[in-house]
Amino acid sequence: MAAKGESWTRSEAAQGYALIAPPAIYAVLLLAAPLATILAYSFFKDGYLTVIHEFTVQNYIATWSDPIFRVILVRSLFVAGLVTLATVALAFPIAYFLSFGLEPSKKARWILLITIPFWTSYLIRVFLWKVILGYNGVVNSALESLGIIGPNGLIADPLQMLNSVGAITLTLAHAYAPFAILPIFVSLEKIDRSLLEAGQDLGESRWRTFLRVTLPLAMPGVVAATLIVFIPTVGDYVTPELIGGGKIPMVANLIQAQMLPLDNRPLGSAIAVSSLLVVGALALLFLWLNRRFLKAGK
Amino acid sequence: MKFPPLKIYALAYLLFLYAPILLLPLFAFNDGTIIAFPLKGFTTGWFAKMAENDTLRHALSNSLIIALTSSAGATILAVFAARASTRYRFRAKGSIMGLIMLPMVLPDILMGMSLLLVMLEVLRVNLSIGTVILGHVIISLPYAIAVLQTAFATLDQSLEEAAVDLGETRIGTFRLIVLPLVMPGIISAFLISFTISLDEFIVAFFLAGNQPTLPTYIFSQLRFPSSIPVIMALGTCLVAASIVLLSVAEFFRRRGLKRTGAKDTGGFL
Amino acid sequence: MTTQPMIAFREVHKYYGDYHALRGITAEIRPGEFFSLLGPSGCGKTTLLRTIAGFEDISSGAVLIDGRDMAGVPANKRPTNMVFQSYAIFPHLSVAQNVGFGLRRDTRSKGEKAKLVEEALEMVGLKGYGARAAHALSGGQRQRVALARALILKPKVLLLDEPLSALDRKIREQMQVELIKLQREVGITFVLVTHDQEEALVMSDRIAVMFEGEIAQLADPETLYRRPNSRRVADFIGVMNFLPATVTGERGDTITAEVAGLGALEVARSQVSLAPAGDQAAVGFRPETLTLLYEGQQAGDREAQGVIDEVVYYGDMTYYDVRLDGMERPVRISMRNVFGRPVLDVGTRTRVAWSPGALVLFR
Repeated sequence: MAAKGESWTRSEAAQGYALIAPPAIYAVLLLAAPLATILAYSFFKDGYLTVIHEFTVQNYIATWSDPIFRVILVRSLFVAGLVTLATVALAFPIAYFLSFGLEPSKKARWILLITIPFWTSYLIRVFLWKVILGYNGVVNSALESLGIIGPNGLIADPLQMLNSVGAITLTLAHAYAPFAILPIFVSLEKIDRSLLEAGQDLGESRWRTFLRVTLPLAMPGVVAATLIVFIPTVGDYVTPELIGGGKIPMVANLIQAQMLPLDNRPLGSAIAVSSLLVVGALALLFLWLNRRFLKAGK
Repeated sequence: MKFPPLKIYALAYLLFLYAPILLLPLFAFNDGTIIAFPLKGFTTGWFAKMAENDTLRHALSNSLIIALTSSAGATILAVFAARASTRYRFRAKGSIMGLIMLPMVLPDILMGMSLLLVMLEVLRVNLSIGTVILGHVIISLPYAIAVLQTAFATLDQSLEEAAVDLGETRIGTFRLIVLPLVMPGIISAFLISFTISLDEFIVAFFLAGNQPTLPTYIFSQLRFPSSIPVIMALGTCLVAASIVLLSVAEFFRRRGLKRTGAKDTGGFL
Repeated sequence: MTTQPMIAFREVHKYYGDYHALRGITAEIRPGEFFSLLGPSGCGKTTLLRTIAGFEDISSGAVLIDGRDMAGVPANKRPTNMVFQSYAIFPHLSVAQNVGFGLRRDTRSKGEKAKLVEEALEMVGLKGYGARAAHALSGGQRQRVALARALILKPKVLLLDEPLSALDRKIREQMQVELIKLQREVGITFVLVTHDQEEALVMSDRIAVMFEGEIAQLADPETLYRRPNSRRVADFIGVMNFLPATVTGERGDTITAEVAGLGALEVARSQVSLAPAGDQAAVGFRPETLTLLYEGQQAGDREAQGVIDEVVYYGDMTYYDVRLDGMERPVRISMRNVFGRPVLDVGTRTRVAWSPGALVLFR
């Protein structure tokens, strides 16, 4: 009943600011300022081994006129899109199972079970997909021992699965799975169970109730999952490097090449800013479409 | 057993999630230099070799220093942020928290390259494990905050009022009531930040200079087929360590819920 | 007799932004009194209680405790202690640690403190519970711990914020009696916030009924019940029948009102209360001031006839809704059930008696 008072609010706000100040200042110094630096550098000229602090849009012209950048950007977006689609589609039933198919006492245990592999050595996990999908990897040797692959089998030679967009997608979908499950789970948990009973009570079938009640109410979680998977995936560095064998680079690999070995930091910054703008625009478009869809649904 | 098909799907999904990890010990104990089937014999030789490796030991000690320091820093900052965001109302809270939580969605490479730029070009400092620590604090901070926000949010505000009512000062109230009740959350936030830092690759890759950390060492070794068995052994140890750490974190998170009498809603995030 | 009030509100206003939560509260609470703030949720009663404790600053006016202006005095320096709605038992401490929490800054020896804690626990009937973990207690026990914890500091005023609302009906009624006894025993001023009119009537020496940030009426329970000063208060406390009336004459201390079905009624001026502005005048009866007449029974002063519309049986009581001749809506009548007297059926034609002294005229 008791909201905070007026003069109390003033002192409350002051206390709030005092408390938030240390992390906020840290974030400004080590997050906002560096991001602003990238933006600034993307407009600087690159001298050999130095950076000339003069304003230029040359980096952006170079970035966008480079067909390689465009190919890589489109590929990154495509891969990230596929990964997002696969992750969210695979994750939704799991989140649904966690929320509706389990007794409350068992939920925490399952969530721990799902998050454990996510917290364990990312690099090695990615590398193990190389072991699984490799020329003499787990899948191929399994098929060989079953006689499917081999001189007398259905297929003569082991499958060539690595160094492909498909392998990259599979690996990333695996890596980002919990990121998709948790937001959807949280939004499903928030649904008032009596709403669903009401839906069925009004003569809707289970499936119709799911479509008309559960799914729309779970949308915020799906949206969050989509963004939380899509944005970091576009910028993934490790998987294209290890699974793609360095032959199918994505944006992060391009940026890394400019920032470290090639040492053209303004160009690297321009590539980063350009990619971020495209990703940001896509995210906003997605949010906007989703809002329209939800409104139309009502 | 309300949804058998769903449950079967969930178990299959778990197998998919765990498949790579289950392979780790197979190859770590496999007496063969090639990572492929069929397996040869059982050996603990790779673990012995791992223990002898000096670069690896250096990388491990670097990683531990980085993880301990950065998770301590992130946890302390997260206590401030979580307390401010759950207990106080002030203007621009959303935007400030948005900025702090941003690394959760931002690709790590952006953090790595932007910090690299600042360190090298603006501040002109040498890259070291110190610069990695700075970066890891910013990366683990959102996760630590997420854990602590639950801990602070489940805290009944009238508990603090009761302590003040009984004559305690604000600081005394925080020390005697708030801190003990959110302590499990603090431990859990620390452990999660620790795990993140220990496993973080990109930022360390950009900011460590010529200092190895565990992930950058692993990454450099993955190119050499002869080093892979040792990496598998190392990976097995790391997985075991993270499972222990996470289980401890989960234990404290649950104990915290029990103490404040709140219902378990599950999950770190 | 003029004693200094224990608590005095002087024109207390409280704004939350644009929302005017307390609208000029002026009232006094006497020393040693069991005082209740009663009203629907959102009426400002909890806010007012929290201004005493020091958890809410006031926008203007003054709150005095024992003659001292509390402006600028923080909650931990006020001579008040509070029992919270959620009890706010510290879950990580034992019962004894909870009860002794306020003694931390006290200079007394450990042994003396332990003795005080034991005494406080005994006072609330929890002797020997000191070593128990607080989170393992039942609702009623938590409530007792909260009481002991607040009373151990011997405050001038004990504030109780809906302390019984979380308890089961049985335990609640038992606690009501215990609280009254406890208050008499310790002699401390109790200020209780409640939305339950029955609870307020049972426990309080005086009650302030609040609506929308204002005190509508401040009186002892009987006055509140017998002579509510407005139709709103009458409606909030218990059940009251309202019969549309027309004032036809005023002579000295007597007012004559015409009620359809009952005829002309004479009302003493002291029995006149406020009706909402613009509303028609009305005569109000409590259900128990009307009586059904059984065959052969003689009417008192007055008598009317009607048909029973509805019967609600409560065991010790029966409520009858009776439609009196010439009246649109039925009136509610409560009758104590007496052995050997049958409960009447719906549709029975019956006579009803009332005494004019029991009615209130709202105009």
